[in-house]
Amino acid sequence: MMRCEDVRELIPWYVEGSLDAEEARAVAGHVAACEACVREVAAALRMRTEVRNALDGLPRLSEKTWVRIRERTGGRSIARIDVGSFLLGFRLGASVVRGGVPMRGDLQVLGQNIKLFERRRGGSR
Amino acid sequence: MAGWAESDAGAAELEDRRLLARVARGDEDSLRVFYDRFAERVLRYAYTLLHRRHLAEDVVQETMVAVWNGAGRFGGRSKVSTWVFGIARHRALDLLRREIRGERVPDVPLTLPDPAPAVERREHVLSALSSLPEDQREVVFLTFYEGLSYKEIAAALAIPEGTVKSRMFHAKRKLAEALT
Repeated sequence: MMRCEDVRELIPWYVEGSLDAEEARAVAGHVAACEACVREVAAALRMRTEVRNALDGLPRLSEKTWVRIRERTGGRSIARIDVGSFLLGFRLGASVVRGGVPMRGDLQVLGQNIKLFERRRGGSR
Repeated sequence: MAGWAESDAGAAELEDRRLLARVARGDEDSLRVFYDRFAERVLRYAYTLLHRRHLAEDVVQETMVAVWNGAGRFGGRSKVSTWVFGIARHRALDLLRREIRGERVPDVPLTLPDPAPAVERREHVLSALSSLPEDQREVVFLTFYEGLSYKEIAAALAIPEGTVKSRMFHAKRKLAEALT
């Protein structure tokens, strides 16, 4: 039979289910017969839930993070079109970047940049 | 139940390894899938270590770039997640040192406060977590958020198993005090 102090050291991993089978059985056997250690299990479960909820509640990453990563990992431009000229006063550009922001189109009129479209991959972020 | 959980974990690890192998061959689509599987977890790990949102986001970037450049060097001796968190840990501590030396200017403020009680409670827990020494909160994160065993944590951090247990023991006591 394990001692309470040995069991309590393992309880965080017991509630998480990450002990190996033999240790998990030993802890379960002890806890079944020890009221004080049952309270420790309940406290560890509460703590686990609180920590997970707190971290899950952090704001998610924006798509900007992925775009920056693609810029640094060589997100290859697989198509780029530029039409018009400075002299004519307008320029239309469109590009497709593989693995990054799939499509983006800009119209430049008399020095003003107007975003025509930007289609993000999957649209999930 | 445990059997199903182990089998799910095994399938997830297998998929992680397949993805990483494709990333090593330069498959950009696989990098995106890899990012979707790991980026938020790395963000939370980095946030647990650093408690600075802008630095945590930088750690995600640095880690994913390192994965892209170094996927071929993954030796398969640990879980993919352990390898990724090892990279993130190095990057986090490096960014922290640079910030302390003043080489880097903070760019993005933390989240706006939200008065909802659930959010207040989460803030309170995060604050309690941040009051722990870095080595203790790291063990709490790897145990309760990533579900690593104490043996895996010991291997990932290159410390004795007894040290992992001792860090958790002290962290648990302090967190319990802070959260009552």
